[in-house]
Amino acid sequence: MTGYLIRRLAAAALLLWLVLTTTFVLLRLVPGDAATAISDLPIPKRQKEILIHAYGLDRPLPEQYVRWLGAVALHGNLGISYAQLRPVRTVVAEALPATLLLAAAALLIEYGVGTALGVAAARRSGSALDKAIRVATLLLYSQPIFWLGLMAILLFSGRLGWLPASHMLSVGADEMGRGAWLADLAKHLVLPAMTLGLAQAGGAARFVRAGLLEVLGRDYIRTARAKGLSERRVVWVHGLRAALVPIIQLLALSVPSLLSGTLMTEVVFAWPGLGRITYDAILARDSPVLLATTGVSAILVVGSNLVADLLHAAADPRVRDA
Amino acid sequence: MRLPFACTVPGRFSARLSLLLSLWAASGLGTGGCGGGHQTGGPAHRPQGTQGGGAQAGPAGSPGLTGTSDSASAAVPRRGGTIVTGWTAEPRAVNELIVQATNPNQEMVFQLFARLLREEPDFERHPPAFTPALARSYEWSADHKTLTLHLRENARWSDGVPVTADDVRWTWQAQVSPEVAWESSYMKDDIADVEAVDPHTVRVRFKRVYAKQLFDLNEGGILPHHAWGQIPFSRWRQSGEWFQQHLVVDGPFTLGSWRRQQELVLVRNPSFYDPDRPRLDRVVMRFIPDQASILTQLDSGELDFTAAISPRDAPHVTANPRLKVLVFPYRNWIGVAWNGARQPFSDPDVRRALGMALDRRAIVETIWGKFARVSESPILSVVWAYDRSLRPLPYDPAEARRILAAKGFAAGADGVLRRGGKPFAFEISTNAGNQQRVDSLVMIQEQLRRIGVRAEPRQVEFNSLNARVLAGDFDASVIGNSMDTSLDLTSYFHSHGIALGTNVTRYSNPQVDRLIDHAMSQPDIALARQDLDRIQEILHRDQPYTYLWESDRVSGLDRRLHDVRPSMVLSFYDLEDWWVEPTLKH
Repeated sequence: MTGYLIRRLAAAALLLWLVLTTTFVLLRLVPGDAATAISDLPIPKRQKEILIHAYGLDRPLPEQYVRWLGAVALHGNLGISYAQLRPVRTVVAEALPATLLLAAAALLIEYGVGTALGVAAARRSGSALDKAIRVATLLLYSQPIFWLGLMAILLFSGRLGWLPASHMLSVGADEMGRGAWLADLAKHLVLPAMTLGLAQAGGAARFVRAGLLEVLGRDYIRTARAKGLSERRVVWVHGLRAALVPIIQLLALSVPSLLSGTLMTEVVFAWPGLGRITYDAILARDSPVLLATTGVSAILVVGSNLVADLLHAAADPRVRDA
Repeated sequence: MRLPFACTVPGRFSARLSLLLSLWAASGLGTGGCGGGHQTGGPAHRPQGTQGGGAQAGPAGSPGLTGTSDSASAAVPRRGGTIVTGWTAEPRAVNELIVQATNPNQEMVFQLFARLLREEPDFERHPPAFTPALARSYEWSADHKTLTLHLRENARWSDGVPVTADDVRWTWQAQVSPEVAWESSYMKDDIADVEAVDPHTVRVRFKRVYAKQLFDLNEGGILPHHAWGQIPFSRWRQSGEWFQQHLVVDGPFTLGSWRRQQELVLVRNPSFYDPDRPRLDRVVMRFIPDQASILTQLDSGELDFTAAISPRDAPHVTANPRLKVLVFPYRNWIGVAWNGARQPFSDPDVRRALGMALDRRAIVETIWGKFARVSESPILSVVWAYDRSLRPLPYDPAEARRILAAKGFAAGADGVLRRGGKPFAFEISTNAGNQQRVDSLVMIQEQLRRIGVRAEPRQVEFNSLNARVLAGDFDASVIGNSMDTSLDLTSYFHSHGIALGTNVTRYSNPQVDRLIDHAMSQPDIALARQDLDRIQEILHRDQPYTYLWESDRVSGLDRRLHDVRPSMVLSFYDLEDWWVEPTLKH
């Protein structure tokens, strides 16, 4: 197991390095990179040179790369945001908790709703309910997140007035008591989390249904039924437990789509997370922030897959011995 | 910070930045030309309930569309209250000298730091006047090279320290410091020295007499030497957050709080030199990237004001009895830039023929409805110097064909014009994501096809297009340019602008160069009226651009808000005058 762990950690580190290096090079090569942006400024040449020098953009690309990688790896220094002139570490640290909160809530909805729908469809396979669930989940899964978000805002905020359309907190939330503040936060979380979670739940439901149908046909399930166990117990305890193993793996695989989903969700709902700062950084050609958000996303994706692999290996000796 | 109607964009270099911007360009406008003399006054109060900021009455036959927010002008202005405003983008930093001058940043900084003078929005009748702000009066020397300003004795920073001439001198030093590298520093190029004569008297020496002296001087807010002078200029670019932590202000508002990506709260500055302003206690700027969400929140009452809504959404806003819209001219003009360095666009007759093949009225009405006008000149039609004798370039495809035939173009078997065996085909580009411009490309393609010219529309990512246009790597492009009340056409049409890249059409006409130079060397731009008329006439004849439209901007707001007078550049131009009727909402 130790050897497997070392191999997987090394592979994860290599993957991270590749992602960051590719991003670094691409950001320097695309039209409108940071140096070009400064060159376009309406300032005298001398000032441009000072700015370009201050940001280290006058050095050869390999040297820029080595300096940047060294600062990140040795000191955790992600640089200064070109747009905000604040440390990138601060910018990212402010945004990360909001994204983690949104992603966690969305993940709960994705697997809560997905599992419930998947089980209901599998229990009545071939019935009208099964067909309705399959159509509904396919529809959900195929909707663009920004469209779902806008429709949710129009309905629940615009028409019904039940929930706030944007932001993490209301105006004046700083003056609220702790309980009211938490309630306000929860109220603001509902629409973005539902939008992101429900869009993903369609896929989870179909996966659960397929997995459960396969398990429900096995001998031990027939045995459980023959012993007189209730159908509810057969499905929820014996069937779902066996079907959950691949679902846990799916959970790790859903992190990338969840993160890409947060970008649009955060923009539509003005949620102050990594997606928002990535979006703003793209518009501002703020490459230090873009590098940092790409790196954080890569860590989350690689990390979640690593955890899934390790869990899988722990459960299945054939994997770690391979 | 830039005064509305004033400033950077059309200045000598700034067109590089603003070239393709569609909605909220970074920067303000350039101006000047206040005719010297002597100005004096007390607190610069604007008349109540009057039209200002360039706002205008809404289009005829559009009930609910208004130019100012004073439907209840009979109501008595009230002090106090909070309003919530919606913005698609967020300011970047409180120190305007170290960040790009995006519109939200300008809106915020304009409230935090007072300027020496206030540029009045009276550009429709004459060059804008400069009235007292931080300076209570000023006078010119006989040779118009030295300006003496007298600061208000009651002006205080928010920590109680007086605002003095030393702050003015130090601010100028920061503005021109190469280490600070302020993007508008070029506007101070012709200022030789700023001298603190005594704590409340400043003497400014200019290197020469020119039309934009006052404007150039007035560019940028006065900054606190005692607070921000603690760190050297060389460290400013790494210290964006430090300035916020050590913020003291002398403007009408100060910064109450700033939750990044969420909201920023401007709070009334009790130290502001005018004890009667601002009227509002708090102004919340909420940041909502999605325009549809902004509209929904305006509709539901979560927002009281939003600076820019799409014209097509105006009827939706006015359908809500609680809301209304303000319609006022925007500073941009949009046109087809023909690359004069490439054949056949180097020939003015060919450019003119292409312009005559375009039904510009149909294009503008289809895309904008009543919220834009067909443009004929780089000087906006709402500005005093617009040449009203210009005859619109006619829509005359037959004449266009005749001109092109005279230039040697003949239709081939496929109907496409050819000269020397080469088809008259080119690429016409615009920035992807700007729907109005993208729509115009399609219409232009179809209209040119009718005279046998094949134009291939191409949408290009903003930064890529900007780089290509500035480098001259294009055939034709639908782009936007800002024009200001300084009426400095140097960057767009002077030969000097070719080397700088700002004259993207590579237009070169020695007569226009001379006229621009002469106009801009006047101590008062009003003296250059004949030059400006002649320039417009020549540009209209030569058509380096085929002008398409100048559009209005539309703001949406709650009817409880009064004395709202957005300018061409800043929505918060008169924020200290805004007042709100009380409700239970906030």
